[in-house]
This record gives sequence, C-alpha cells and structure tokens, in this order.
Amino acid sequence: MADGLLHAAFRTSAEARVALNRLGQDGVAPNDVEVRSSVPLEHDVIPVGSKLRSKIPWTSLAGATLGGTAFFMMVKLTSEAYPLPTGGQPIVGLPPTGVITFEGVAIGAVLTTVATVLLECGLPGLKKAGPLDHHIALDHVLVSVKCDEGASTAWAAQAVETARS
Amino acid sequence: MTRWGMAIDTDRCTGCGACAVACHAENNIQTVGEVEAAKGRAMHWMRVERYYEGVFPDIKVRFQPVMCQQCGHAPCEPVCPVYATYRTPEGLNAMVYARCIGTRYCANNCPYTTRYFNWFAPEFDAPLERQLNPSVSVRPAGVMEKCTFCVQRIQESQELADQEERTVRDGEIQTACSQSCPAKAITFGDMDDPASTVALIARTERATHLLEDLSTEPSVIYLRGGR
Amino acid sequence: MSGPAASVHEEALLKPLSSFRPKLFVGSLLTGLLVVLLFYAWGYQIANDIGVAGITRPVFWGFYIVNFVFWIGISHAGTLISAILRVTQAEWRRPVTRCAEAITTFALMIGGLFPLIHLGRPWIFWYMVPIPTERGIWPNFRSPLMWDVLAITTYLIGSVMYLLLPMIPDFAIIRDRMMRENPKSLKSLFFRVAALGWRGTPQQWFSLEAGIKTMAVVIIPVAVSVHTIVSWDFAMAIQPMWHSTIFGPYFVVGAIYSGVAVLMLAMYLLRKGLGIQEYLSDKVFNNLGLMFLAFAMLWSYFTFAEHLTVWYGNEHAERMVFDERISGRFSGFFWTMIVVNTIIPFLILPFKWGRKPLGTAIVGFGVLIGMWIERYLIVVGTLSFPRLTYTEGFYSPTWVEVGILVGSVGLFGFLYFTFIQLAPIVSLWEVREGEHIKNRKEPAHQAALHPASEEA
Repeated sequence: MADGLLHAAFRTSAEARVALNRLGQDGVAPNDVEVRSSVPLEHDVIPVGSKLRSKIPWTSLAGATLGGTAFFMMVKLTSEAYPLPTGGQPIVGLPPTGVITFEGVAIGAVLTTVATVLLECGLPGLKKAGPLDHHIALDHVLVSVKCDEGASTAWAAQAVETARS
Repeated sequence: MTRWGMAIDTDRCTGCGACAVACHAENNIQTVGEVEAAKGRAMHWMRVERYYEGVFPDIKVRFQPVMCQQCGHAPCEPVCPVYATYRTPEGLNAMVYARCIGTRYCANNCPYTTRYFNWFAPEFDAPLERQLNPSVSVRPAGVMEKCTFCVQRIQESQELADQEERTVRDGEIQTACSQSCPAKAITFGDMDDPASTVALIARTERATHLLEDLSTEPSVIYLRGGR
Repeated sequence: MSGPAASVHEEALLKPLSSFRPKLFVGSLLTGLLVVLLFYAWGYQIANDIGVAGITRPVFWGFYIVNFVFWIGISHAGTLISAILRVTQAEWRRPVTRCAEAITTFALMIGGLFPLIHLGRPWIFWYMVPIPTERGIWPNFRSPLMWDVLAITTYLIGSVMYLLLPMIPDFAIIRDRMMRENPKSLKSLFFRVAALGWRGTPQQWFSLEAGIKTMAVVIIPVAVSVHTIVSWDFAMAIQPMWHSTIFGPYFVVGAIYSGVAVLMLAMYLLRKGLGIQEYLSDKVFNNLGLMFLAFAMLWSYFTFAEHLTVWYGNEHAERMVFDERISGRFSGFFWTMIVVNTIIPFLILPFKWGRKPLGTAIVGFGVLIGMWIERYLIVVGTLSFPRLTYTEGFYSPTWVEVGILVGSVGLFGFLYFTFIQLAPIVSLWEVREGEHIKNRKEPAHQAALHPASEEA
C-alpha cells in the first residue's frame, strides 16, 4: 500500500460517524483510520472495530502502593541505620512515619498517573502536521485514512456523499 | 549510666548575676550591644529572672536563674528537621551547630525560652577576642545555641578520668555557673549516682521542676520553700 | 446532532496569546518591579544575615512564616476547588478550573519560597532533603517541617501536573491555528513543543480523561493534608493557643476560604481585563459566591469554637495570649479580622445582589486581608507571650520583611500575567465539551456556530 493519506473534516460528530461506518463496511482496518477532535468524542465517534483501553486506575494504584512503601521504608530503615534519639522518643515514631507514607502514596499515584497518560497517548509524539489540522482547532472532526493513491478519490467522494445525505 | 543534672537553690540565690557573666566568658557567647539588646536579642545562656512577691511595701524579690533545662522529653528535639539538636546517651540536650539551618522551630517550642539565635555573626570588641575559650566554637550567624551544661568541661574531666583509669568523681566537674556562684546555689553532678550531692539534693522535699505540668522532665532542679 | 462549539467568544481568550496587549505589558512591568524588590530584599538579607529582619526573641517566627501560611492557604483555591467540582461533575466549573489551578500553582511556588527566606542559613536548606552524602546528614522525619517539605513537594508536583494535563489539548488547538496563520513565529514553535504532539485521537482522549479523573481524586486528600500539616507546625508545639486539636480542620477551612477569596478577586479582574464575561458569567460568580458564603460560615464557626474553648478552659498561659488578642495589644488586628472575615461577608454574600462580580470581589479582598491577619495573630500573638512571663517580647517588621511581602504579591501577579500570555485562561476544550453536552440535550441551542467547512 502506497503511503497516501486521505483527510476529511466534518462539522459534526454525526457526519463523522456516518463516514466511519462506511469505512468499516468497506473493510478498512481500524488501524488505518485516525479520528481527531478538539473535544473528547471517544464515546461518540471512533473507527469501527477499534477499542479504547486505559490501565489508569490500576497503574495509579500500583504507583500509590510503590510510593507509600518506598517512603515508609526510607523513613524506617534510615532512622534505624543512624539511630539518633530525640525528646526521649522511640527511634522510629509510627505516627509521623504514617504522615510521610501518606505523602508517598499520593506522589506515587500522581507520577504514575501522568506517566501512564503520556505513555498511552504516545506523548511526546513527533507526527507531522496535516493539511487540515486547523479544522480541528475549529472543533471539526478530522478523519484520516491510509490508502492507495488511486482509491483515494473514489473513497473521498463516497464518504463525503454519505455524510452529506 | 551517667545522667548529668543540676540543682539550683533559689533560696540561696542573691541575683548577683555572676553565673551569667561566667557563662559568657566560658562559652564564647557574643555580646550583641545596646541596640540589638533593646530589640530583645540579648544572648545569655544563663539569665537571672526576677519575680516580686507581695504588695509594696511588704515586698519580696525572688531570683530564678534559668538556663536550658536539658529536658528528658525535650520539646525542642523532635521538631528540628535536621537533627541539629538531639539527646546524648548521658542525658544532655546536645546542639550540633554545623547542622543547624536556622528554622528556629526549636526555640519556638521551648517553654522556657532558653534558646538563643545568632541573628548576626558574633563580634568581639578588642580585647575581648583574646579571652575566647579555645575549647568552645564561636557560632556563625543563623545558628541556634543554648546552654550545654559546659559539655567541654565534662569531656575534659572524662578524658582525664579515662587516662587515670577511674570514673569521674562527684564534684570533679564544675560548670562555669556553679564555679562562680558566690552563694554556692548551683550544684552539678550525676543524677544516676545515688551518692552524688546533686542526687541527694534532688531527693529533698524542696526539689521542684520549672513548669513541671508540661512533663518535659527537666534535668535542672530548683530548690525552694525554705525561709 | 450537534455542530462545532468553537464560538466567536474564544477570540477574547486567544488574543493575549498572539497579539501585544498594552494592559498586560504594563501589568507585567509593574509587578516585575516588585519582583526585583523581592529578590533585592532577600539578597540583602542573605548578605547581611537574618538579623536585618525584625524577628527577635521570643518572636522567632514573623512575617515570613505568616506569608508562608498565607500563600499556601491561597494555593487551596485552585486545585482543591477544581477537583471537587470535577469529581462532583458540576457543569459550571468548566470556565473556572484553569484560572483556579493556575492560582494554586503560583501561590504554592511563592509559599514554598518563604521557608527558604525564613531560614537562618538558607544556603544549606538541602540538609532537609534526603540525599545520601558523605556528610552523613539525614533529615529528621519526626519534625513537622519535614512533613511540610514532603507534603508541599507532593502538592506542587500534583498541582503542576493537574494544571498541565488538561492544557495539552488546548495547546494543540492553538498550535493548529498558529501553524496556519504564521508557522515560523517563535510563539508557534512554543505551542508546537508545548502540545507535545497531541493529536486528539479517541484513545488519547480516553486516557487523558481517565488521568484527569484519577488526579482529581488523588489531589483532594493531598490538598487537605498540606494545610493540615502546615497547621501542625503550630499544633505540634506546646505553646499556648497553638497546641490545639482543632487546628488541622480550622486551617484547611481557612485556607479554602482565603483561596476562594483570591479566586473571586482574580476572576473579577480577568473578566474586566480580558472581557471574557461570556465565560466567567454571573452564574459562575453566583455559584462560587454561595461556596464562599459556606466557607465564611465554617471559618466563623471554627474561630468561635477555638476561642470559646480557650476562654472557658481558662488555663493561665493560654488566657494570657487570649486576653491580649481580644482586648490587649493585638485587639485591633483581631476585631479587624472579625469585621472583614465574618461581618462583611454576612452582610453581602447571602443576597443575590451581593453575589455579583463586584460584590464578591470586594468581599474577597477583605477576606484576603483578614486571613493574613489571622495567621499574624496565630504566629506573632502566641510567640509574644511565652509561659515564663519574664521573656515577653515585641515584634515589629523591618523594611526587608515588608518588601518581601509586597514583592511576593508582585511575583504572583507577574507569574499570572505571564501565564495569561502563554495559555488560554479558560480551558477551551472543556468549555467546548460543555457546549456539546448542552447541545445534545437541547438541539435547538445551536447559536454562534462557525460557517461550515469540510472535505479533502
């Protein structure tokens, strides 16, 4: 398949959805279709056959556990390694360690959440801008299809026709 | 185990202030000058507080020398973020000047207000710099300091005792304040040695602690109630 | 069926990003001068030792700690409020979140500066950071100051991320516009980098929204913990009127109260200055005004409870501090605080005419001053009267401390002005999303649409 990209900008998500359905019917693989929008429309308009996945609550939870454990161990082990008594109190004071463990849980959750978002979104990405990208800024829905040079005109005509009708 | 302690007989104290002067000389405490002192920045590890009892003309002045109480449960210690102040095994509330970053939290949490801060670098007008004690460091600006129970004298005596292969004798160590007190109101010694003078005094009926209800377990005992 | 929601009002938000605005320039210049003052005063203090400040014995903590608590309090405006509104899915939050989160980030940066300014030897502040070095210095995790360090670091990282994540799609919108208008300009390059190559695919949106939701849930307890820990700096000490179990919630409520106050003031100024009343509408002010009123009530309740307990307990050392506050040396401060924090809000906010932009901004300004006074009373009021009366002391600030306070306000303004010129102060995509939701509910609502344009 020659690397041709066919772009179409749609004013509304309904129009885009019609075009996507049509592409699906024509047997275009979901990986060859890219839908882009300036607002979250992922429950409204997605390429036929593609699935949305996010590991987010789980990675955050894992990060929280890791962060909490790391902070707890840091306080406990270092205090025991260099025992310095203060105020007649035990070397490892559990309540203060609890406070610090809590912050560890939070920072672990925050960092892993951000990392997961970046990873799942493929950011930072280096893809080149397309000729119709400014349409996204106007809140249009942009659909790009990977296709042969020859087929593109026919598809374009079809897709746009369908969407308009 | 050794646990250093001090007893101060307020019934004997005449309020002469010799202890405060001796402390200044022994511990290289800076004299801040008139202007700074007026702002409340005077530094006296040992200060003599004055209280008036009764109504004029039937009035009685009482003196109370106050210095760091070397608390067993010191409120100043846990709040320091960098362990600049901590508890030594011998019951001293130690101050590590090199670690101090100057948060001043310890001073805020001291109910006796016996911690002093170096707002400026110390200056000693000539010829005062010639009488600086070589066993004691001069503290830089931005660092907290307070009474150490003359820890340099304690160490000196302990080293001597080690060389002579014996333990430190009771009364061998004299802090600068107890040495200079003309009324012999201040006694220093080992609280854990039941035969030491200070331990004997601590068991008398007149023994009290300053702000005892805060349960800071001070190592300084005040005697009063006589007369 | 719904059309594009990119309305003409967005131009007002995008103008400061692309064109020269004299008002913003003058604002940046004036606040920039104050920033110079801040760093000059701080530099002077480092060069001449901490003694150039007015703090003394026994008032070891003064303006710097007051400012620290004050700014950290203000930082509770954004992230916390925006997270609560996001979690509860309040639709009217959409235009508010961005400008509120920016307040958090900048106030937190400034608040975090003050403990450093406050240190006697700021150049070794890193003794509080757990870095293994040959010096063998390790922080004492029992100290509330260490909890502060960790909590504020966590909160700062969290709120910066919480501010930046939803900004990525907005940067992409601006990038896409600029790439068409003038792709070679420096600003265009900035937005190309800032957008991180965001494309807006369904998967990206799905992950981003999941991330924002999770962050909102995590950030609420963090924000609560931050000001609780700030209050513990005081409550863990055994000083009279500091050692109080109520301090945690009292400080959190006070922090949000002062945070909403700054938010009201900032929103009023943004609305006036940028002409974005389409976004920061009267409805938004009304709703936030109700929240403001709720916190005025909560704060007043806590203040009453705190003082009643001390007065009734009648413990000697506490009564001394209390009496000086109510009728002694600090009574002027105390009653001013009551007037601006309780009486004026109760006279204005319960009424619909009061919850208009100007009304809430006036109350916000007063509360801001009142909350600063509250912290001054707590810090200086207690420290002036130690348990041993012999050591009572007086505190008055020097020009260094006043300069740093004024400079910190300038720094906040400067950062905020800069921010307005780098990012839309109202989240474009979130507002658009709100429009889509509205359109889906009532298809008739399709005004202000752009002319249609399509195909390849």
